[in-house]
Amino acid sequence: MAEIGETAPSLPAPAVRTSSRRKETILWLLTPRLIIGLTILLVMGGGSMILPVFAPVDPSFQGSYTRNLPPSFDHLLGTTALGQDIFWYLVYSIRNSLILGIVVAIGVTVIATTVGLSAGFVGGNFERFVMLIVDTIITIPLLPVLIILGALIRGNTSFLAVGFIIILFGWAWDARTVRSMALSLREREFINMARFSGANTPQIILREVFPYVSAYILVGFINVILFAINTEAALAVIGLSKVEVPTLGSIIFWALNFNALFTGHYAWMIAPIVATVTLFLGLFLTSTGFNAAFATKRGVQ
Amino acid sequence: MNPFRQILLASAVGALWATAATAQMTDVGTPRNETLIVQTFDGRSSNATQMNPLNRYAHWRGFRELGWSYLWEMDTSTGESYPELAVGFPEVLNDDHTKFRIKIREGVHWSDGEEFTTDDIIFTIDTAFKYRDKLTNVTNYVTFLKDWKKIDDYTFEVETQKPSYDFVTRMGVYTWGSHIVWLPEHVLAPIGDEIVTYNNEKPVLLGPYTVKEYDPNGFWQLWEKRDDWERSGWGNLGEPTPKYILYKDFGTEETRSLAFVQNQYDIDTFMSPDTIEAAQKRNPAIETFAPVFPFHDMNDACGWGVYFNLQKSPYDIKELRWALALSLDLQQVGISALNGQFKSTALPVADTPVTRPIFHEPMRDFLTNLTLSDGYKPFDTSFNQELVKVLAEQGVDPEKLPVGDAIVDSFGFGWWKHDPAEAEKLLASVGIEKGSDGFYALPDGSPMVLEFVYPADWNKILQRLGFSIADSWRQAGFNINARQVDNGEFNTYMRTNARFQMTIAWNQQCVFNANWRNNWRQWSPEFVLPADSTDADQRLDGNYVRITDPRIYDLVAAGATVPTDDPKMAELGRDIQEIVVEEMYMLPLMSIPTTIPTNNTYWTNYTKADNFYALPYSWWSSFKKTVVNIEPSGK
Amino acid sequence: MGVLTFIAKRIALYFAVLFIGLSITFALPRFMPVNPIDGYIGELQSRASATIAPEGLAELRKSLEELYGLQGSVFEQYLAYMKRVVIDFDFGPSYTYFPHPVSSMLAEALPWTMGLLMTATVIAWCLGNTVGLVAGYFYKKRAASILEFVGILLYPIPYYILAISVLMIFAYIFPIFPLSATFPVGDMTWAKVGTILYNSLLPGLALVLAGFGWNILSMKALAIATSEEPYVTFARLKGTTHRTRMLRYVFRNALLPQVTALALSLGVIFNGALLTEIIFSYPGIGLIMRQAASGGDYNVLYGAITVSIIAVATAGLLIDLAYPLLDPRIRHK
Repeated sequence: MAEIGETAPSLPAPAVRTSSRRKETILWLLTPRLIIGLTILLVMGGGSMILPVFAPVDPSFQGSYTRNLPPSFDHLLGTTALGQDIFWYLVYSIRNSLILGIVVAIGVTVIATTVGLSAGFVGGNFERFVMLIVDTIITIPLLPVLIILGALIRGNTSFLAVGFIIILFGWAWDARTVRSMALSLREREFINMARFSGANTPQIILREVFPYVSAYILVGFINVILFAINTEAALAVIGLSKVEVPTLGSIIFWALNFNALFTGHYAWMIAPIVATVTLFLGLFLTSTGFNAAFATKRGVQ
Repeated sequence: MNPFRQILLASAVGALWATAATAQMTDVGTPRNETLIVQTFDGRSSNATQMNPLNRYAHWRGFRELGWSYLWEMDTSTGESYPELAVGFPEVLNDDHTKFRIKIREGVHWSDGEEFTTDDIIFTIDTAFKYRDKLTNVTNYVTFLKDWKKIDDYTFEVETQKPSYDFVTRMGVYTWGSHIVWLPEHVLAPIGDEIVTYNNEKPVLLGPYTVKEYDPNGFWQLWEKRDDWERSGWGNLGEPTPKYILYKDFGTEETRSLAFVQNQYDIDTFMSPDTIEAAQKRNPAIETFAPVFPFHDMNDACGWGVYFNLQKSPYDIKELRWALALSLDLQQVGISALNGQFKSTALPVADTPVTRPIFHEPMRDFLTNLTLSDGYKPFDTSFNQELVKVLAEQGVDPEKLPVGDAIVDSFGFGWWKHDPAEAEKLLASVGIEKGSDGFYALPDGSPMVLEFVYPADWNKILQRLGFSIADSWRQAGFNINARQVDNGEFNTYMRTNARFQMTIAWNQQCVFNANWRNNWRQWSPEFVLPADSTDADQRLDGNYVRITDPRIYDLVAAGATVPTDDPKMAELGRDIQEIVVEEMYMLPLMSIPTTIPTNNTYWTNYTKADNFYALPYSWWSSFKKTVVNIEPSGK
Repeated sequence: MGVLTFIAKRIALYFAVLFIGLSITFALPRFMPVNPIDGYIGELQSRASATIAPEGLAELRKSLEELYGLQGSVFEQYLAYMKRVVIDFDFGPSYTYFPHPVSSMLAEALPWTMGLLMTATVIAWCLGNTVGLVAGYFYKKRAASILEFVGILLYPIPYYILAISVLMIFAYIFPIFPLSATFPVGDMTWAKVGTILYNSLLPGLALVLAGFGWNILSMKALAIATSEEPYVTFARLKGTTHRTRMLRYVFRNALLPQVTALALSLGVIFNGALLTEIIFSYPGIGLIMRQAASGGDYNVLYGAITVSIIAVATAGLLIDLAYPLLDPRIRHK
């Protein structure tokens, strides 16, 4: 499915030609698209991180309120069939999903960048070995693996175990992309210049190449967040994640479990979907906004 | 016409046909008003081509009720066995109760017209013994029987390995469990050694229906009534009404409920209460077993309960087990998970019309007067009254709530008090106190994390119950690591001492009448393993409750030689339960709420609380009676 | 680099990938805290209302261990597995449905899964790329933003929700399609093929909608990037039409990564199979895998994952070998 297994490997990396070291205002970045995207992220991210402090009770507790209440001032989105407040549950869900997404994104980005860049620049047998691993991981279908490891995920006290497994099987795509960028960079002049002036490989990667691919990494980072949230949601929806922890997937899992659409309990089902779509819109606009801004910056119209 | 256009045309025709089909014809091409359509009990059957009962096969698609036939069946509404293929009950030939002579009815015929004789019986037992290490579904009788011989075409004798007061239920049917499926010698004998891998795809059967067609992908199976149904294994019950019976899996509950509302099938299995309510609002033809609370049949022989690993710390502490019982808010749990539609029981045996006079009525005083070591009386006789009150407060239509004596019939005699303060007191007496994080900690101050395992979505209701129970305990201060697991893991977990801590499960005492022997005889030292045995070396094959109490062993041993109808049998059963309750060896919760909603658009006269002729189960012997009694609606 | 060396190296890589993939596949199910024998015994017990004699279970356990070939050390089992899979392409018997062979279970299920999901994936790919190309090439136009917006809206909706919504709309509110299809059996006639196609339309639609969004987004991004390339600017200056530039310059070059993505998304097909089959009661390999995972049926899992790995690796190999034919830049190297 779209939400599983497909990071966005083919989103092209912007070939930033300008030196990022040039001192100037970063206002050029702010396209309308990016502003909308960042606003959404700020509101949803900030809101979900700060609001829980004010939550009257842990929204995952059952029977806190009367069951199946319609939306009202006290319960903005009503209550679930388990007597939980949907609004607060949703707030916790967004927070947990975002945390998961960011953790996975950090993991994937660090591994993919390190592996991809070093493979691209070291070359030789090392590169062959690394690419063998990468290609192998890409061929292993993710969902069956997650089903098999589902028992491990659910047996773990921390729901971040899901994140760990996604990292384990999710870094290969990005590593492949980073490597191919590294390959094309390897032959560029400024790299050769650095090499002739006596820099060693780690120095070159760190000082010359990294700034160059950082734009891609930022976009890739956002895409991984998207991918991780969606994968966890897909797993939760079929009950293979830690569904007692509120996430954007587990809330849908429970709504489905109580057949919310059929029983006419629309807010329970639609609220998390709207939240997911909005969050994704925010992430996507931010990612493509950066992309476009970099493109604008390098003067291509 | 080229093939491609033909396909296009055909799909257009198919579309029309399918739309029209909902009116008169079923998807399998039979007239809808002559076809009873049943949701299969356990969903899609994998490996549907396998129909050889000597090996594992998907038998809950009609084989149990329509296809095979047994020596003795069980009337599940009374708990009594009745002869089906046999004539009367076996003659006991020795004082040890190990030798029996059985007569079978003359004139019963296989679906291919051959007569059923003792040759078939001898052939079946011979085959099972000959290939016992290669067949996967014969274990129960090869360890039960010792010797067998044919006397004449309608008489045979067998000898069992041990005294068998439960011979009829072991050789016939106990509740729904049926171990021996008789096979046609004239069909299968020529196959020889191949029988161990033989699929038996066009089975020759004893029941009044035969397999007309089936989906190799396992979604459905269509049965057709035999012309000579009268000479079939249970033709003596009367003529089955529907010409065709279709078992089909209509998928997840989301799609199932939609199909049910569209009158696409007639009898469902388990459906969650909220979905049934919503379905009834959309289609008044959908009915539950009873028109009032708790709406569903509660007469399953098994109940649900929480089990502890009594061989493992801290579950070996009686006070902890009692504290868990008193911290569990069963009212809240039952309302969250089941809309309050459940019948509680504090005794290990489920509370059914059969077991109530034998166990629950006589033990009522025992429960009420039960006192813990500190003088506290834990039993709450007003549990059911309170529940009715809470439900009324939550907006349940008062007309649908029981009043007076009906409250006890609907919700049971009562359950344990919800009293976390008393639980805290009990725990303090053994040094378990709440730490700074609000969770109970072990006497040495280390955190006490209790693992609690429950089924994942392969049993939706248990999944919800498990989730709600974990929540209830957490709110009372227990640090619960709740895990929902798959079917296979669940079974491995239950059987592995080193891993097992706590689960919610079907109880291990599916006792259907005074005869508790079939189940409780596993409470014996024979089936106890070391507390640290792992799944690599040894797993339990019995006594999953892990009873190690010698008092219970003695009582169980005493029961082995008591005739089933002796009052002493019931008395021993009550004594055993008293010990189990006092020690809180397990925490029984409720009867299994078996929903089984029906749709009376095409068929009427299903068995219901106010039209009761059998239990409503479509996967028990009671379905035989349903099939005979239902009437076409005339649509 | 000679063509032959390139091919030889690529094929060597292919086998190395398969070898490691199969080894990982062997190891994975061992992490499952499930024992196939307990899975079976549990089912027997529940079927027999827990009255199976404990003595009988002990005997059964022993004979099952023997029949299943679960004896011996893990390493011996690994060697036996590799030998069976590589040399005989045989996955042994299913544990849960002993003695039914896994290969025949897969052979029955695969055509359904492949038929539905391949078709849907290809349609989603074609549609998505066309829309994405138009949206990407004319990315400054309002219409392009609307097209992209459709993609953004569709992409994040969890597939499960999408599928159930489709089912509710087209099978319940407007009962055009069956809620849970009945597939005809017996000898195939054109009418039966028609019914199968008709029954497959709804799951197909859900799959296309799900795959569509991502293809729009990635194609659009590629198309924008490509249309910034100097050769496109050059073509514009040369005075070629929009149409020509879009198809001949942008499309051809933006297509390559998408072709690779399509090939590799073959593996994703196995992901989609599961949910589709659960929701639409569609026969196939996903349900078999789910059931096997829950019952600890290693052999079936091995079989299914191995088939998937081989399919993806082979597709990758073929794409790489065909690349020089598609991309002039590589051809000239």
